[in-house]
Amino acid sequence: MSNEFLLSAIIFLPTVGALVLSIMDGGAEKALRKIGYFTTAATFALTLVLLAEFDSSVSGMQMEVKAEWIKNWNVNYQLGVDGISLTLVLLTGLVCFLAMLASDSIKKDIKGYLILFLLLETGMLGVFLSLDFFLFYVFWEVMLLPMYFLIGIWGGPRREYAAMKFFLYTLVGSVLMLIALLMFYFGSATTTSPGSFDLLHLARIGQGKVPGLVFSETLQMTAFVLLFIGFAIKVPVVPFHTWLPDAHVEAPTPISMILAGVLLKMGGYGILRIAFPICPQGAQWASYVLVFLGVLSIIYGAFAAMAQTDFKRLVAYSSVSHMGYVLLGIAVWKLSEGKTVGAEYWKMGMNGAMFQMLAHGISSAGMFFMVGVIYDRVHHRDVNKFGGLMGLMPLYGGLAVGIFFAGLGLPGLCGFIGEVFTVLSAWNYHPIMAIISASGVILTAGYILWTIQRVFLGPEYKGPHPEAITPILPREAFIGFVLLGFAILLGVYPESMFGLMRESINQLVNDLVKVDMSSLAGVNTLLKR
Amino acid sequence: MDPQTYQSTGEMLRNLLTLAWLLPLAGFVLEVFAGYWSHRLSRAAAYSAVFCIAAGFVCSFAALMYWGHQTHWSALESHASPADHHDVLKYFSGTYYTLAEFGKLRIAIDYHIDSLTLVMFTMVTLIATMIHIFAIGYMSDELTEHYEDHQVHTAHGHFHRPGRFYMFFAYLSLFSFSMLGLVLAGNVFQVFVFWELVGVCSYFLIGFYFERKSASTAANKAFIMNRVGDFGFLIGLMILWTWFGTFQFNERVESDANGRDVVMPGLFDMLRDDHGNVTVLPANDHDSYARVFLADPGHSGALKHEGHKEGKTMPYFLLVVAGLGIFAGCVGKSAQFPLQTWLPDAMEGPTPVSALVHSATMVAAGVYLAGRFYPMFLPEVLLTIAYVGCITLFMAATIAVVATDIKRVLAYSTISQLGYMMLGIGVGGWTAGLFHLITHAFFKSLMFLCSGSVIHGCHHEQEMPKMGGLIRKMPITAYTMLVGVIAICGLAIPGISIFGIKIAFSGYHSKDAIIATAMTFSQLNGSHFLLFVVPLLGAGITAFYMFRLWFYTFIGQPRDHHVYDHAHESPVVMWAPLIVLSFFAAFVAFKGEAGSLFKLLLDTEPASVAHGLHDVGLAGDLNFPSHVGIEENHKAAGLYALLVAVMGTTLAYLFYGARVLNPAEVKRQFAGVHNFLVEKWQFDILYDAAFVRPVHVIAKWFVAFDRNVLDGFLHATARTAVSIATLDRRFDETVVDGLVNLVGNVTYDAGRSLRYVQTGRLRQYVMFIVLGVVGIWIVMRLFAA
Amino acid sequence: MEGVGLTEYLVVAGILFVSGVVCMATKRNAIGVLMGVELVLNGANVNFVAFSRYTKLGLDGQVISLFVIVLAAAEAAVALAIALNFYNNHLTIDVDRGDELKG
Repeated sequence: MSNEFLLSAIIFLPTVGALVLSIMDGGAEKALRKIGYFTTAATFALTLVLLAEFDSSVSGMQMEVKAEWIKNWNVNYQLGVDGISLTLVLLTGLVCFLAMLASDSIKKDIKGYLILFLLLETGMLGVFLSLDFFLFYVFWEVMLLPMYFLIGIWGGPRREYAAMKFFLYTLVGSVLMLIALLMFYFGSATTTSPGSFDLLHLARIGQGKVPGLVFSETLQMTAFVLLFIGFAIKVPVVPFHTWLPDAHVEAPTPISMILAGVLLKMGGYGILRIAFPICPQGAQWASYVLVFLGVLSIIYGAFAAMAQTDFKRLVAYSSVSHMGYVLLGIAVWKLSEGKTVGAEYWKMGMNGAMFQMLAHGISSAGMFFMVGVIYDRVHHRDVNKFGGLMGLMPLYGGLAVGIFFAGLGLPGLCGFIGEVFTVLSAWNYHPIMAIISASGVILTAGYILWTIQRVFLGPEYKGPHPEAITPILPREAFIGFVLLGFAILLGVYPESMFGLMRESINQLVNDLVKVDMSSLAGVNTLLKR
Repeated sequence: MDPQTYQSTGEMLRNLLTLAWLLPLAGFVLEVFAGYWSHRLSRAAAYSAVFCIAAGFVCSFAALMYWGHQTHWSALESHASPADHHDVLKYFSGTYYTLAEFGKLRIAIDYHIDSLTLVMFTMVTLIATMIHIFAIGYMSDELTEHYEDHQVHTAHGHFHRPGRFYMFFAYLSLFSFSMLGLVLAGNVFQVFVFWELVGVCSYFLIGFYFERKSASTAANKAFIMNRVGDFGFLIGLMILWTWFGTFQFNERVESDANGRDVVMPGLFDMLRDDHGNVTVLPANDHDSYARVFLADPGHSGALKHEGHKEGKTMPYFLLVVAGLGIFAGCVGKSAQFPLQTWLPDAMEGPTPVSALVHSATMVAAGVYLAGRFYPMFLPEVLLTIAYVGCITLFMAATIAVVATDIKRVLAYSTISQLGYMMLGIGVGGWTAGLFHLITHAFFKSLMFLCSGSVIHGCHHEQEMPKMGGLIRKMPITAYTMLVGVIAICGLAIPGISIFGIKIAFSGYHSKDAIIATAMTFSQLNGSHFLLFVVPLLGAGITAFYMFRLWFYTFIGQPRDHHVYDHAHESPVVMWAPLIVLSFFAAFVAFKGEAGSLFKLLLDTEPASVAHGLHDVGLAGDLNFPSHVGIEENHKAAGLYALLVAVMGTTLAYLFYGARVLNPAEVKRQFAGVHNFLVEKWQFDILYDAAFVRPVHVIAKWFVAFDRNVLDGFLHATARTAVSIATLDRRFDETVVDGLVNLVGNVTYDAGRSLRYVQTGRLRQYVMFIVLGVVGIWIVMRLFAA
Repeated sequence: MEGVGLTEYLVVAGILFVSGVVCMATKRNAIGVLMGVELVLNGANVNFVAFSRYTKLGLDGQVISLFVIVLAAAEAAVALAIALNFYNNHLTIDVDRGDELKG
């Protein structure tokens, strides 16, 4: 397969699957599911092909595709992959495949479910691979609608509320992003050429590399704030996070896996791919707030998780806490008198943040899956009404404890590397922030161990339907083993991922470091005194 | 040693230790999977675990011998100061693989092998092997499909579950792997990694009987308390990472991709020069802080010539904070004040675990790290370490006096002894502290196993008031225990020596070394006299409570005949390890400071220790003793310690052996103090009130904030939007639609009223035409006019 | 013949017209109404002819009156057909009975 075609194939293979499903008989449940498995597996296989074709020593975009789409507005169908997107594409392929395997518990209107599921996957892959802001925006919206229906139709008792909340939050984010998009479009227009949606081109303008064309400081700051809020809702960053617990609690298990495993990463990806490269001055100007919000999310999420009694809500808040590290790592851009200080620590923070996204993709998807496994059996999620599951379902208990420890940040499992690297890089930025973020390790240990104790340990199960507790099925065990296997792989040999993304991230940092920040120095001194 | 021999020696040592390190991991994987899918009654998991760790011991011991052979046992020759040999590299280090690399920053899985590593490896693998073997017997009641847990009560009586024999050995293997990794680690980040891993193994092992609420709570407590310490550890790591840019202990030369030699910087070489001195730049006009000079990697250390040095500086206080941070990790792991409360609760785990994890190895890891990281500790940090150790050893010893659970006495004794080690390191007795670590590991694991044997023999009875006279039922256990007790108390026969060798067990030598150092320290720094008085007093208390335990358990008349009648000596698989360990507990420190163990450790002693330090610290008033200074006090200190220990022993004998004095009487008289001690100095209550509950309250606040403020805001916004929409709808319905409807209605009404004209009668129409014509004519006429 | 001038023609035409109108307005018989119509038309014809004789209208007036006669004939044919149909439907030719077009 030619490389030009590969990216498009990855994005649209799920759509093809959805089309095939749409002409099939809705009653043929087994056949429908088979198509679903096959499509997600094939997509994952294609992402592995992408991995094989990918050259990790190149920092820039690879396998770029560019075709005219809407000529009047200079909109192009432009795709490309670099280290940052590659890893997330791999994650998407994997999580979607596993979520599809986990979809056996869905019984209602399976055809519609599968079609929406596959469309969602197309949207997510498109977001990670598009290099045109307009195309990015389109995929962003494409992903939004299936999610709304997946929560709103196949969700729990309060699904309408949750779906609406999710939709509104995300929509507000998209609208802000749209404004920024237009600002860039008109800002990049010159007398000779129309505006551009090309993210790479916009980034060059933003970094002052295009002669005679600059995004002014004010534009950068405004656009950054808009973009940041848009993406922060997705991450989610405190205080834009309250959609997440509701959406997770109501969403069916596989959708929770995707939501936590992939969707949240789009926020972090957007900040890395769009907000920072295009608005370096805005980013630097706001870095203090970003770091603060990151640290706040870590602590806030951990505390909130501790007080939950709903198992899924607890895991959802742990996501808030873990994604705080992502924001922290991205934003530790220390500037002193117009010069970046300790760029290597920032690189470490950025790499750590990216790694944390992958690690969280594995561990949180796993945690939600583990909650789903027990929910499918006893149909309740009250943490205080479990107990003794380790004895009743030893294999399940072992896998679940392993995955929860990955979330806890135990060395040798994936969560540790991302957390500790971002925290280590933070001291260079601000010692107090670093210390507060480090205190998250205690809180995280607290709420996860307490949960493990209440759910898995103890002599007997205390909730309803004790007769329904049956050993874990091979299919479920397979998903658990795959996730735990990846958690161990990433934890023991993180270089496997760092090697893929390092060049791209370092290039980004090097580019941003070179941006002239002299005009900002004054603002920062004022702010930071 | 020429470079080639050096290299080949390093590779050989690395291979041996790596094998010893990874075998238990392989064992773990094998045991956990094979165990899950195999028969519950199979002992195969135990044999696999024993094989792995025993093979590890063989490798470690071989490595130690090989190292000695290659260095011609130069470590054992007596030399005044090990620092004189700094032209020879004493350590072998290298990288297994890189975890991540960011420009010049690199984090890797390294190894660092010196005599301390080798001794630790040998000690850990030896003790672990013994404990593994012991556990085959001790855990044999798990070899069943229906294990009855007497401590868990359900609605249907006692709780039954399938045995978890294989899981226990899998955990033990995982722990052995983690512990060896910790010792082998070549950088402090890697120490942190394995630090957490031993912590989680400890969590699993404490919570082995996870059906028991007390066990799972104790496991949580242990892990979280350790995490509190690790929080400090992490802060220390952040500071070091930011200012030094490396985690490696010592520097080394590596070939890069182009085959050139690159100096990989090391923390110690950056901070200290060849003589182990730190360059402190006092505060001046430019700089309100005192600063520490850090040599630029590549221009410093033993690998390069001395002379021209370049580098940077960092604030002195930050390095102190970093040191305190790392030490906080040690405090957590070694259960020092104020994080000591988890260790007694950790006795919920099976006794072999208490012996291996919570006395001999894991808890000693804090001391090991404090020793390994000694060069990074500035005098202020060392003083803090000394005081923390001092407080801990006293506090734990006092609690041990009133504890009645046999394992808890040993647990408090462990805390107390760890305090001694910390104190030793803190007052500049590097070798003394680590010496005590090794000897303590042997006699304390021995005593724990003995207590395990007692518990096993008494059918899981742990309360000493129900025992007594057991020496008649289990003599081997009793006498091996006595060896341990004598060792820990530091008893010896004074004045008599055979061929110049003192007649004393290991604890005498190591405790003596610590007390001698502390005594010298307090002589040099008069204001810190407590650092000598308290450990001396502690030695007496130690002797008292240890003999109290022994007399209580083994001597006198049985207090509970039910327990006594069913008691029996343990099987050979359990008492054989006791014999082996008691041998080591007695003789591992053979010849004391002239012996090979002490010499081996001395070989790794940091350069600055031997000569002592004078007028250091920011205030410039701290002095650390030199070897010569300690030597002068050695005899006196040994005598004092022995005297106090004998007093303690005598007192214990009077109370519990001869029963001349009545302990209940004393208890009544000092009821307040007794209660205070039984309540463990109220720490659990204090922490619960000061931390646990506030955390839960804050957590509730945050959730309430989410629900009321954030969601409240969201809901208010939504409600506002809905009400605006309602208003809009009203306006549309009334005003806009009203206008449109009005036009329509008027038109309709007009048409309706005109229809009456249309009668359909022809003649009328004609009349209308006529009238119309006439009318038009009239109008025209009128207007025309 | 001196006594007969335009005025007299116009008077005759006026009488014819008024008679026709009155006939249309009063007769209930459809045929009667038709006859009234013829009278009105003829009154107009007389006017046209008279104006062509006494004014500069010339032959145009006479041509138009010829047209009117032809049209009247055609109209009568159509009207008589309507009357027949009316009779078929109502069994009478009383125009007052035919008020189906009432609004």
